[in-house]
Amino acid sequence: MVALAIRDEGKIAAFEALKAELSAKVGPASLAVEGAVPTAIPELDRLLAGGFPSGAVATLEGTTGRWSLAAGLVAELTRRSLVAILDDGTLYPPSLAEAGARLEHVLVVPARKALEVARAVDILLRSRICRLVLMPAIALRDAIWSRLAMLAHRSGVLLVVMVARAGAALSAVAELRLHCAFERAIVHGKRGLWGSFAGFDFCIDLRKHKHIPSALLGTARLRAALR
Amino acid sequence: MLLCVDLPGEIPEPAQWEELLDALDAVSPLIDDVRSGLAYLDMHGSPGGASAWMTQTRTLLSAYGRLPRLGVGLNKITARAAAYVADGSICRPGSEAGLLAELPLALLDIEPEIIERLTLLGIERLGDLAALPHGPFVRRFGSAAARWHELARGIDRRPFLPRSRAVAIEAVIFGEGRAVDEAQVFFALRMLLTRVCSDLERCGKRAGALHLALELEDAGTAAFDVPLAMPTADERTMFEMMRAKLEGVTFEAAIVGLRVQARILEEGGEAQALLRAVDFDPARVVVTIARLEAILGESVSRATTRQAHLLEERFAYEPFALDKPKMTAAHPESDRCRSEGVRKVVPQLRLLEVREIPVELRAGEPAIVDRQAVTQCTGPWRIQERPFTPAPVARDEYDVVLADGTFARIYHQGAHWYLRGVYE
Repeated sequence: MVALAIRDEGKIAAFEALKAELSAKVGPASLAVEGAVPTAIPELDRLLAGGFPSGAVATLEGTTGRWSLAAGLVAELTRRSLVAILDDGTLYPPSLAEAGARLEHVLVVPARKALEVARAVDILLRSRICRLVLMPAIALRDAIWSRLAMLAHRSGVLLVVMVARAGAALSAVAELRLHCAFERAIVHGKRGLWGSFAGFDFCIDLRKHKHIPSALLGTARLRAALR
Repeated sequence: MLLCVDLPGEIPEPAQWEELLDALDAVSPLIDDVRSGLAYLDMHGSPGGASAWMTQTRTLLSAYGRLPRLGVGLNKITARAAAYVADGSICRPGSEAGLLAELPLALLDIEPEIIERLTLLGIERLGDLAALPHGPFVRRFGSAAARWHELARGIDRRPFLPRSRAVAIEAVIFGEGRAVDEAQVFFALRMLLTRVCSDLERCGKRAGALHLALELEDAGTAAFDVPLAMPTADERTMFEMMRAKLEGVTFEAAIVGLRVQARILEEGGEAQALLRAVDFDPARVVVTIARLEAILGESVSRATTRQAHLLEERFAYEPFALDKPKMTAAHPESDRCRSEGVRKVVPQLRLLEVREIPVELRAGEPAIVDRQAVTQCTGPWRIQERPFTPAPVARDEYDVVLADGTFARIYHQGAHWYLRGVYE
C-alpha cells in the first residue's frame, strides 16, 4: 500500500488557492457533463450540469424526496429505453405511472436478499438492455461495489442506489451523491377532513460529483406535487 | 357462397375446435374461424352443390361426435340465419330480408345491454330493426349501429378472414449416440436450432416459444417449454434461452434423443433498429430475463394499473413481455412532457409491509403516531370495499407528517391502526 500525502504546508495552500481560482473561472452554468442523462427537471439538471452521468454509480440519499427524483428519471428514460427496478416489495407502480413513467418499459425484478440483488444487478449491467438500474441499499462487500461500478462504467448504464446514508465503500465508488431532505408538506384546505395532501417541498444537496469541483457543489429546492 | 358451421350446445375446447377445423379443411381450404363453435367455409368454386357440401361436412363432424347446424348463404349473416332457421337451409339471393325479418337480435352478436335497450324500445326482431330509419337510428346508437342496420337487411360487409395454415417446425436428433455432459447436449441443441431457424426463415415466420423434449437412456423423458418474450427467428437468442432454461438441471440417465419444436408462430420479420421507436434489443432482453429468472426463481414482471379504492388493488404484476414493436412512440403522458420540455416532480408512495402501530388521538385525529408527534394531518377518507362478502374492508385513511419529517399514509381499521406506506 502506498500512502500519498502532501507534507509541505505551502504546497497545500497553493493547491487550494489554485482550486479556488479554477472553480471561480469555471462556473456551474458553463459546465456540461458529456453523455449526461437529463431528468427534464430544470432545477436538478442545472445542479447536475446537464443530468445524471451515464455509466456511473449514483446514490440518492435521505428519505423524503429521493424516490420522487428517481421517478422523474425513470419517466424520462422509459420514453425510449428500458429501466430495471430491483424491488424489495415496496414499489408502488401507480405513483410511478403518475410521474409519467411508461410501466411497460419498466422491468420489476423481485430481489430481496443481498446476494440476489448483487447478482441481478450484475446480469443487468452486463446485458446493457437498460439505461438505468435502480437498486435498494444493501450491505455488500467493498469489492462487489467496485465491480458493479466498473461494470456500470463499461456498459454505460446508470446504476442508482437508493440509500438512507451511503457507507464508505459506496461513497467511494459513487460518481454522484445527492441527499434529499424534507422541508415542508403542502396541504390544500384546512386540517383533517377538509384538507388534502398536495405534495411537499424538499431540498437536494449535491454532495459529490465526479465532474464538478467540490467548491461548486450546490443545493436546490424542489416541490413534489400531486397532479 | 358461404357455408355456416354452427355447433350448438357445449362450446368445444380450443384444442378440440382446432382439430375440427383441420378436419373441415377437406370441405374447403378457406375457413373463417369466428370463435370456438362457429366458422364459415368459403365454397366458391367447390364442386357439387349446397346439399353435397352439407352432407360432406355432417359426415366429417359426426366422426367427432358433433352434430352441427349448417346453412348456406351469400354472406355471413345470411348463411348464419339459414343455419339458425333450420339445419340444412339455404338462403337464396333475394330472400334475405324475408328470412332475417323474424329472427332475434342476438344473431347480430351485439352486447346484451344493447339488445335490452332495443327491446325496451319495442325492437325485438331483425325485421323491426331493418324497418327503422337509418339516420336517426345511427345518431342514437352510434356508428356501430350502421353495421347492425345493414346486417338486419342482409347486407354484410365484414371481410372473410381465412385462418392461417398450421405449420409445424421442428428438428429431431435420435439414435446418434448418447450425451452425458452438458457440452454434448449444447452442441446437439445448437445444431437443431440451426435447422429450426433455417425453416423459420424459409417460411417467413418467428417463434414465440420453443418446446424441448429429451429422451433418456433409461426410457425416461423430460420436456421444457421455453417462452420467448418477443417472437424471434434468431438462433443465438434461442440458444441462450435454452441454455438458461437448462442451467442447473440434472438427469438420471444419459440423453439419447432431442426434439426442438418452434411454437406460437407469427408472421413477419424483425424490426430494424433504425425504424424502431425504442433503443433496446428485444432478443437481448429475452435472454437477460431468462437469466434473471434462473437465478431468482421468480419471474421478472411489469406492472399495470387499474381503478380501485384500496391502494394495494390499484396495480397488478404480470410476467414481463415486450409489446409488438411500433414505428412511432405514442404515449400521451410522455408526449405531453416532451411538448412542455419540463417534468414535474411527483411524490412517490412506497408501500411498506403493513404493521400495527400505536396511535394517540387528540380532538379525534392522530396526534402521536408510532411514538412521534404529528405535525400535519389530513383525512380521514373512508374506504369501504366488498361490503356484502365474508371479508369486508372498512378503513379510514390519513396522511400524516411526523416530527422527524416522515410523510406517511396510515389507516384505522377495526380497533387498530396500521402503517401502510411512506411518501418519498
